[in-house]
Amino acid sequence: MLSIKNVSFTYDSGTPALSDVSLEIKDGEFVCIVGHNGSGKSTLAKLFNGLLLPSSGTVEVNGMDTADDEKTLDIRRLVGMVFQNPDNQIVTTVVREDVAFGPENLGIPTDEMIIRVDEALKAVGMESYAESAPHMLSGGQKQRIAIAGMLAMEPEILVLDEATAMLDPMGRADIIRIVRDLNREKHITVIMITQYMEEAVGVDRVIVINNGSIEMDGTPAEIFSHGDELRAIGLDVPPAVELRELLKSRGIADCGSAMTLEEISDNLCRSLLKN
Amino acid sequence: MFKDITLGQYFPVDSVAHRLDPRTKLVLLILYIVAVFIVKDIWVFGFIIAFMLFMTAMSKVPLNYVLKAIKPMKLLLPLMFLLNLFMIKSGHILFSWKFITVTTGGLRQALFIVLRLIALVTGASLLTLTTTPVSLTEGLERLLSPLKAVKFPVHELAMMMTIALRFIPTLLEEADKIMKAQLARGADLESGNIFKKAKAMIPILIPLFVNSFRRAEELALAMESRCYHGGEGRTRLKVLKFHMRDLWAVLIFAALIAVVVILQNTFPIDRYAADLILGLLGKKQ
Amino acid sequence: MPIVIEKLTYTYQSGSVNAFTAIMDVSLTIHDGEFVGLIGHTGSGKSTLIQQLNGLMQPTSGKVLVDGFDMSDKKQRAKGRALVGMVFQYPDYQLFDETVYKDISFGPKNMKLAPDEIDRRVREAMRLVGLDFDEFAEKSPFELSGGEKRRTALAGIIAMYPKYLVLDEPMAGLDPAGRRAVLAMIDDFRKQLGCAVVMVSHSMDDIARSADKVIVLRDGAIFASGTPAEIFSRSDELYEMGLEPPFAARMASELKRHGFRLPGGIYTNEALADALAAYKGGDLNV
Repeated sequence: MLSIKNVSFTYDSGTPALSDVSLEIKDGEFVCIVGHNGSGKSTLAKLFNGLLLPSSGTVEVNGMDTADDEKTLDIRRLVGMVFQNPDNQIVTTVVREDVAFGPENLGIPTDEMIIRVDEALKAVGMESYAESAPHMLSGGQKQRIAIAGMLAMEPEILVLDEATAMLDPMGRADIIRIVRDLNREKHITVIMITQYMEEAVGVDRVIVINNGSIEMDGTPAEIFSHGDELRAIGLDVPPAVELRELLKSRGIADCGSAMTLEEISDNLCRSLLKN
Repeated sequence: MFKDITLGQYFPVDSVAHRLDPRTKLVLLILYIVAVFIVKDIWVFGFIIAFMLFMTAMSKVPLNYVLKAIKPMKLLLPLMFLLNLFMIKSGHILFSWKFITVTTGGLRQALFIVLRLIALVTGASLLTLTTTPVSLTEGLERLLSPLKAVKFPVHELAMMMTIALRFIPTLLEEADKIMKAQLARGADLESGNIFKKAKAMIPILIPLFVNSFRRAEELALAMESRCYHGGEGRTRLKVLKFHMRDLWAVLIFAALIAVVVILQNTFPIDRYAADLILGLLGKKQ
Repeated sequence: MPIVIEKLTYTYQSGSVNAFTAIMDVSLTIHDGEFVGLIGHTGSGKSTLIQQLNGLMQPTSGKVLVDGFDMSDKKQRAKGRALVGMVFQYPDYQLFDETVYKDISFGPKNMKLAPDEIDRRVREAMRLVGLDFDEFAEKSPFELSGGEKRRTALAGIIAMYPKYLVLDEPMAGLDPAGRRAVLAMIDDFRKQLGCAVVMVSHSMDDIARSADKVIVLRDGAIFASGTPAEIFSRSDELYEMGLEPPFAARMASELKRHGFRLPGGIYTNEALADALAAYKGGDLNV
């Protein structure tokens, strides 16, 4: 469990990034954190595994304080982190060895490491690229390797810090599918930080960050019913929600809390096509 | 387009030479260098070259790939040969015209320097052709690990090499993109004298540096997130293990040194050859 | 005069064992003032194609003529290139100078314009991209936020007054507000400078909003080309190809499958709502 209490963070330059944020993320949850550029969402992510330490307040992972030096490695093993730029997180020149980088740092015995690496590569569907050179892979494939590198450390929480921002639609869809599976099948807690509102559809919980504090916190259905507020802070709603709003405001149909193409289609078939 | 660059010119086939432990290969290179440097008689170089060809055959790397290593020295080799030929004056005069004098000692020295350079470069290139940069780094790290006792940063050095190898293709690609972006803004990289050209590189070098620093920062964060904390307590995915073939290889190379020593002490053919040449030129010793 | 591409083929490392043909027999025309959206996967040949437009790469065979200047010819290429402004995906590839002002003037300086003309253009470009002159002119481009960097990079090209503006993924990595702002800005340049725009984007929703013509590339060849309405009426095919057609187009196609009778060429939520409004009274129901 990740628990954040009254956290504020100010950069050395004096720029305040977060003010008095409190947040609890339960085991097995799939959480999406959204906010515009510069809202403080990436700063928040870096607090989760102690890359940054709060200026005030506490961040605890399974009861361990990230400010406690002795716990740093334990916390970073538990909280896997995937960053935005696929190129800047792969360390070695062979995929397999890169996935092993984390376990190597943890001192995992070689026999076990081999099993973990193979399993991690399989979980992200990259087992056939084990011997490839990372620079020959696409952006989406590189991000899958980065996720595998985290899985090989057997984390409980996976944080994706705008990990899909530099990918094409196919790469993005792959990553989303993989983390959904990991959440469902391996019960890994997933915290996805993103600007793409479509990615927040279908998660358990959406947290909206604005100007360094939590603006909204709720289910996707709750959050996306506040379209105007989201737009006012530089965000958006998924296109399906936009259509739903339009149909409702023009009195054409009320699709309730539908958020996907299928839901809207079902709804319209029922309400408008009266056979 | 830079994606096709293969690093360290590794030649991917399966051979005994490829399967040798990288540590062994580094030791073999040292033994080979020793052999090359203790040769005192020119004719024994024939034996070294024969051995070189034998190693090439064992590595299954085509000979012309191995010989490619000499290509960058196509200016250096003749230069070294001529310098030694004309500058060193010892032994007997073979030829003299105005200020040019060629002596037996000069000829010997000139031949030695060229043959040694060729032998060394082809030997080293055979190592890189049969060993991936990664395992070379690994071999180096393990081989040097006793130096950790005297606080020599062996692990850090190896890590730096690995990261450099990893990022060279990425940076080349980036340099290409930056160059195009500035060309599109009308940057003129071709005309003008050398100073003008150097100045024209600024719009390319600055983004490249700035981006590299940002990359380094992000990479450091990613490595920290993956529990990197230096070499202490680290295990490895690939465990290097010595096999019988490693022992055999070392024995063969040790035998090479022994044979070189025995041959040149038993058959000092060079001296006879020198006499022969002098005799042919009609000069008395 | 337009940009005319005739039977363009481009092969990387032509003649070697690694030869790879990225563009095959592509012909197209970009007219003055037109807004062309270019869509395709990573690897479909988009980047190669747009780099041909200002001669950063030259055809292996075929021709690229920019207002009649043959981009394969070294002398003509310089003249053609001056007409085509190219904005790359990441501003980090082009920003280098000490100040925003100096950086934006790099292009105009290379064009050897008079100092007061350069000054005038830099000021106008900054105004067009929404960078306040007093606030930003003397700032280092490296201190800017992501969105501001993007604006500076755009201004650097705008100040060259290109007749054709080529944009590679200009909205990549921006948040929704940033995307809307950049898109509005591009529309603005078009009106004020009268330039044609070629925009590469993964987001068909973004292209749908502004493009007059949409070209879909697939495996180095033109898969489809036409008005947004024509192209997006094939949203099912595009979706199959792994592209992301506008949501409204996919929605319309889905509804048709369920028996809705909707007109063709719907690709915006507004148009879809208009079409569905007819069902509201129930008089169209079967």
